[in-house]
Amino acid sequence: MSDNKLVAETRTQFGKGAARKIRRDHKIPAVMYGHGAEPVHITLPGHDTMMALKVANALLTIVIDGKEQLALAKDVQRDAIKPVIEHIDLVIVRKGEKVTVDVPVHVEGEAAPETVVTVDSQTVQLEVEATHIPENIVVSVEGLEAGTQIKASELVLPSGATLVVDADTLVVNITQQISQEALDAEMAEAEAEAGIEHEEAGDGEAAEGDAAESAEGDAPEGEKAESEDA
Amino acid sequence: MLIPRRVKHRKQHHPGRSGAAKGGTKIAFGDYGIQALEPAYVTNRQIESARIAMTRYMKRGGKVWINIYPDRPLTKKPAETRMGSGKGSPEWWIANIKPGRVMFEVSGVSEEVAREAMRLAMHKLPMKCRFVRREGGDI
Repeated sequence: MSDNKLVAETRTQFGKGAARKIRRDHKIPAVMYGHGAEPVHITLPGHDTMMALKVANALLTIVIDGKEQLALAKDVQRDAIKPVIEHIDLVIVRKGEKVTVDVPVHVEGEAAPETVVTVDSQTVQLEVEATHIPENIVVSVEGLEAGTQIKASELVLPSGATLVVDADTLVVNITQQISQEALDAEMAEAEAEAGIEHEEAGDGEAAEGDAAESAEGDAPEGEKAESEDA
Repeated sequence: MLIPRRVKHRKQHHPGRSGAAKGGTKIAFGDYGIQALEPAYVTNRQIESARIAMTRYMKRGGKVWINIYPDRPLTKKPAETRMGSGKGSPEWWIANIKPGRVMFEVSGVSEEVAREAMRLAMHKLPMKCRFVRREGGDI
């Protein structure tokens, strides 16, 4: 994972003026600290750094004046709209050292039909070796039924990793899909409240939906009419 | 529709529209989102309309999150009224949206479905928006 080698230059000028000048040259101002060392202000190459940080918890090898240093991105400041990294905080790590990181949860497989899979915790906090940080934690939901809850304690962690978050933290929740009747009723109520009116709604919707859906849709239409009457 | 249950002041000044969003610029709950690219006042009716458009397209699959709340009242004077005589009566409830804000999120559907659902929802909103998705490094 530490093949992300970035050649950095030490910064001597600080403040927003100097930082903006660095950004204009397509570079990124950064600071590196940790292990009781004095913070080092550096400049990183813009494109290479951005590509390296596409992966969560990427371990970076920072080369300053020919010396290599392993580091993790602790905080990445991005522009809200433009795809630009404004500043990076790097924390120094050593080989074999354990670090606490947020690892993304990746859901695989298809749950049982008529269910909705919701990832309640998008990341899980783990304590792992800095050189062996997993890219993500894979959770398989293949064939799982509604009502199944996968908690942090049930996750399959890579060897050497320990869970930092509470073992009872809900990670993935599988719930029953809302029924067509309930959805139609909810939509009708919401549309009535918002004052949305359909022009020739019957014709348009019938044309859109396939045969199976239109067959299903008959009952709710009737119910909708009843509820409107009521 | 989203309306505050109780407010400290019934009539407020118009909220400022300059600057960019300070927070809420990343996807927090779902997999895909709608991000504002311009400042705008989004009314509770527009929020509800966008939600209905998305939910209708996604049918029974997926989940929708609304990350904004219309907590600011806007007032309006009646038509053909002379100036003065105090502030008008509350007419709309709005959320003050700045560029960069992720307003809606969805999960549990494919990217294709999410894109189309959000395209329909964007037509209900008063500003230029874009579709965004969760990136590996965005944690």
